[in-house]
Amino acid sequence: MSSGAIGALETRGMASLLASTDAMLKTAEVQLCGQHGIGSGWLTAVLAGQVADVEAAMRVGEVEANRTGELIGAHVVSRPDARAMNAMPHATGLGTEQVQPQALGLLETQGLTPLVAGADAMLKAAQVALGGWAFIGGALCHAPVFGDVAAVQTALEAGRQAAERIGPVYATLVLPQPSSGLGPLLPPAPAVAPRSTGALGIIETIGYASVVGSADAMLKAAEVQIECLSIGSGGRIAALATGQLDAVQAAVCAGAAAATELDASAIVSRPDPALVARFAAPAEGLGPGTRQAIGLIETRSTIALVRAVDRMLKAAAVEYEGAYKVGYYLTAAVVRGDVGAVQVAIEAGRQEAVAHGELVAAYAIPQPYGGLEGRLPHISEDANDDSD
Amino acid sequence: MAASVGMIEVQGVAAAIVGADAACKAADVELAGWSSIGGYTTAFFTGSISDVEAALQSGEEAARQLIEQVVAAPLNQPAACLQFVDFPVRAPSDFPAGALGLVETRGYGTHIHTNDQMVKTAAVEVINVLTVHDRVVCSLLLGDTGAVAEAIAVAQKLLADDEHLLGTALIPQPRPEVLAAYAAPLGDGGV
Repeated sequence: MSSGAIGALETRGMASLLASTDAMLKTAEVQLCGQHGIGSGWLTAVLAGQVADVEAAMRVGEVEANRTGELIGAHVVSRPDARAMNAMPHATGLGTEQVQPQALGLLETQGLTPLVAGADAMLKAAQVALGGWAFIGGALCHAPVFGDVAAVQTALEAGRQAAERIGPVYATLVLPQPSSGLGPLLPPAPAVAPRSTGALGIIETIGYASVVGSADAMLKAAEVQIECLSIGSGGRIAALATGQLDAVQAAVCAGAAAATELDASAIVSRPDPALVARFAAPAEGLGPGTRQAIGLIETRSTIALVRAVDRMLKAAAVEYEGAYKVGYYLTAAVVRGDVGAVQVAIEAGRQEAVAHGELVAAYAIPQPYGGLEGRLPHISEDANDDSD
Repeated sequence: MAASVGMIEVQGVAAAIVGADAACKAADVELAGWSSIGGYTTAFFTGSISDVEAALQSGEEAARQLIEQVVAAPLNQPAACLQFVDFPVRAPSDFPAGALGLVETRGYGTHIHTNDQMVKTAAVEVINVLTVHDRVVCSLLLGDTGAVAEAIAVAQKLLADDEHLLGTALIPQPRPEVLAAYAAPLGDGGV
């Protein structure tokens, strides 16, 4: 990186970043050499090339970013200095996806529920393949589809309409001929075998404490399986359940009623098998759980949470099981024990957190349903391995 | 477990670094590491009850030089605490002695430009760039005190019109454990 130049273009939202990066790669002799997301949907693409090329590319990128979304900033650095760049994280953030020589469409929503509903509509509306999906903070989630131009256009139109019935659509994008260099910006698409199910139900709430209660209520209401709890960013987290349509309908009703902070819910009947594989693949590496009563406490401050958990452990015979953060300043902790002990502990923890003014939720699940164990992301098998 | 744990929670990470450094200098406490939620970070240190109290007082005062809202609290006879440390201090720092400079903004692209200008103007090295959610990005630079002061002046000038500048700080003699905690790459920092 000692000669030439690099350019950094920062946007809000993936659709805008893809559109502007595609335009930059087509405008001049530049290559994508890094990307980095810093939350709230802010994403930066870093390109390298000769000074004149990078400058030309950035001018086009700025215009395209403003046209398709929100430009945060554009910076050109000629002859970048290694002493400044070596420690910067953008070069390590590149994905490895390949872009096939076909049209690319992107659906970007606020929350995961509209994205799932929209992705199902896209797969059913036209001959398109679904890529991976990702969240980038600020409640924004996105998923790309691939196919011929007409199919991608049809799919995106159907996807937008279906998603809008559930929640906000932030952006849609169709690139008829995407530059092959865009691949590293796209979310990875792990190979999971397609799977058929009668229906897919989603309950999306704000906060971890709320979603665990909803998932438990869904399992108790009808014969469904909780496949996974997935973060949708911006503090949102969704429980995805599968089963027969009537069971999923009953479960979503019960889950929505139990949710203290419901954000969105949806039922997808006869979901495309590729959709189930993409969004409802059971998470790996989660611990088995103990089936004892669960105590959940969630706050907006690390200090409030630490003090509340400390108070809980001192107040009753409960064990600390794990902590989980869903973003948007939220941090939750889980304790286990006998019903009585958990209830005493939760009351003590609630008082401590309230004293700090940062309590979001505190409650007990006296008898968690068996199907919930093994699906709770706060119990990861490597929870005690602090190598990250 | 130690008799007491001190915690300093602030928005961003620069004020927590300044606070942790001041706390470690003020009393006989050991820096355990730090955690982050949604753009707020918390520094944890352990020691005797009176040491933690003294450390918290100095740490809070120092952090307030950068940012108004600082929460500092002790936890005596802790039953739980250190499992909440996301980034524990592991290996001792092998950075050369020098002053530590901090430049914190919202936004990433601006750091590419600012960091490049700082190392070209003064004999400093960017040793880490921390991104701690909610768009907060903090560059850490190392050099002798004069060079770091010069580099920070460059950043202040470049970012004078940037509504997203959160703050800058200069620590002439940072504690090695502070460097060990905050100057090691995080791996997964963003979003």
